[in-house]
Amino acid sequence: MDREPDRSIAAMAAVIREESAAAEVRADFAGWLRGKGLAEADVQALASTGGERFLVYRALVHNRLLAAIREFLPRVAARRGRDHLRADFAAFMAAAAPKSPYLRDVPGEFVAWVGTRWHSDAPPWLWDLARHELLEMEVRNDPRGGEAPTGLDIALDRPLVFDGSARAMRYDWAVHELPRAEDDRSEPVCAPTELLVFRDAKNKVRYLVLTRWAGLVLAELLVAGRPVAEGLHHAAAAMGEPLDDDKLAKSAMLFAELFEAGVLLGAAR
Amino acid sequence: MSSRIPTGIGLGLRAAFIDRVARGDADGAIAFVEVSPENYMHRGGGMPRALGRVAERFPVVTHGLMMSLGGTDPFDDEYFATLRGFLDRHDTPWHSDHVCWSGLDGSMLHDLLPVPFTSRAAQRVAERVIEARDRLGRPMAVENISWYLELGAPQLDEPAFLCEVLERADAQLLLDVNNVFVNAQNHGFDPYAWLARIPLDRVVQLHVAGHEAWDETLVIDTHGADVRSEVHDMLGWVIERVGPKPVVLERDSNIPELSVLLAEVAALDEVYRSALSRWESRRAPAAHGS
Repeated sequence: MDREPDRSIAAMAAVIREESAAAEVRADFAGWLRGKGLAEADVQALASTGGERFLVYRALVHNRLLAAIREFLPRVAARRGRDHLRADFAAFMAAAAPKSPYLRDVPGEFVAWVGTRWHSDAPPWLWDLARHELLEMEVRNDPRGGEAPTGLDIALDRPLVFDGSARAMRYDWAVHELPRAEDDRSEPVCAPTELLVFRDAKNKVRYLVLTRWAGLVLAELLVAGRPVAEGLHHAAAAMGEPLDDDKLAKSAMLFAELFEAGVLLGAAR
Repeated sequence: MSSRIPTGIGLGLRAAFIDRVARGDADGAIAFVEVSPENYMHRGGGMPRALGRVAERFPVVTHGLMMSLGGTDPFDDEYFATLRGFLDRHDTPWHSDHVCWSGLDGSMLHDLLPVPFTSRAAQRVAERVIEARDRLGRPMAVENISWYLELGAPQLDEPAFLCEVLERADAQLLLDVNNVFVNAQNHGFDPYAWLARIPLDRVVQLHVAGHEAWDETLVIDTHGADVRSEVHDMLGWVIERVGPKPVVLERDSNIPELSVLLAEVAALDEVYRSALSRWESRRAPAAHGS
């Protein structure tokens, strides 16, 4: 099978992806096409149509993908502002571009790439807010979730089984407390924040704010998948404290709450 | 739902109204639904559950977005395996995707980008259609797209290009009459002359949609407006010649209330039924004479 891209297809990919393409095409479309290695007949045909028509495709692709990003990250998009977001996106397209065939994955690909860029050019909490807004979509659409309880009581020597959609999140900023209104411009409190997020039986995304102890326990039992006793010892060690009766009692209460919420499914078989 | 082939006017299923269709709000108003598998693949939660309820009410046909039949990147094994599983679950009579490319060198651009109208490109598209059909284990239909420029010096015009693809791949055609109209508007040709050159015996399905102006010189296939009367007329012209087929109303932006969409379906159904009557009249003399 022919695997060699047509030069004209490669040129269209370039006009969509390259940051400087729009200015270069407007300055000298035929020269830009020749620089992409197109045959002179193709250069003449495209040049007769005009660079602006070629750039329509750049606008269509950027508009479509930015719309997906705005849909899934409405508060980030509003706070970042139209021009900055467009610039971020153009840089993302040039440096990385989407890789997933699923349009709903594009906002996550963008956020994963843009985080480092924002470190020097945006409020320090913006990346946490972006991760938090993405979380809603990711948990709502996670192919996992809704599994049946294991039917086994919690045992110290066994790991726990959680609903497949559950994930533990840690933020440096309390972005979960921000109002949902897109025109709100309040800033989050700088406070380490741990959340358990999952999809319930009615397909609603639920958030549980965790204490530090609960966060450490879930890091060991949900994320690392350790057996209960081992996980609790690790969590206590991470706090620099002994695993005392108070922590065991809090753990039992945590397990009961999670079981009632339907996110803890029992002990692993 | 069985793999019986639907005919009549169906609706492209969208997240904006899937729950209402699942609840029965479109019962009796549409003949079938068309879904884009990419919107459900690798996805849990409410959407696939709602689709399951819709599939209990209506036949399902599938129409893909990201196969990139005009591209050169190797097909993604995981994508095709997941897609085949989806098609098998919904027992669809065929699967369709576009004569376009959507990504290059591993990047995914998520749009329907034009291929050059050359024999080389036609051969590549045809080979990929055959590979897709083999991987999916069912017939493939390809859809003509809206294109806003010719990608280089053409060796062929679009009808000749499509004919070469269809014949080389022995593929079926999903004829988007709105795309023909949009291209005719943008490039100044007669859409009926275009239709007259297409192998109508390969048409298994049709699409209709609305479009919007980009500027004074260009209209874009946005699926964001009502279907124009000229597109109604073209639909009738085709149905009169091909007989009963599934016709999908597509709407992807500025989506109105479901009741408004169903009213548009009803208007299309009138066009469809009238054209079917003419098709039957055309057949009658031949039947008497045989």
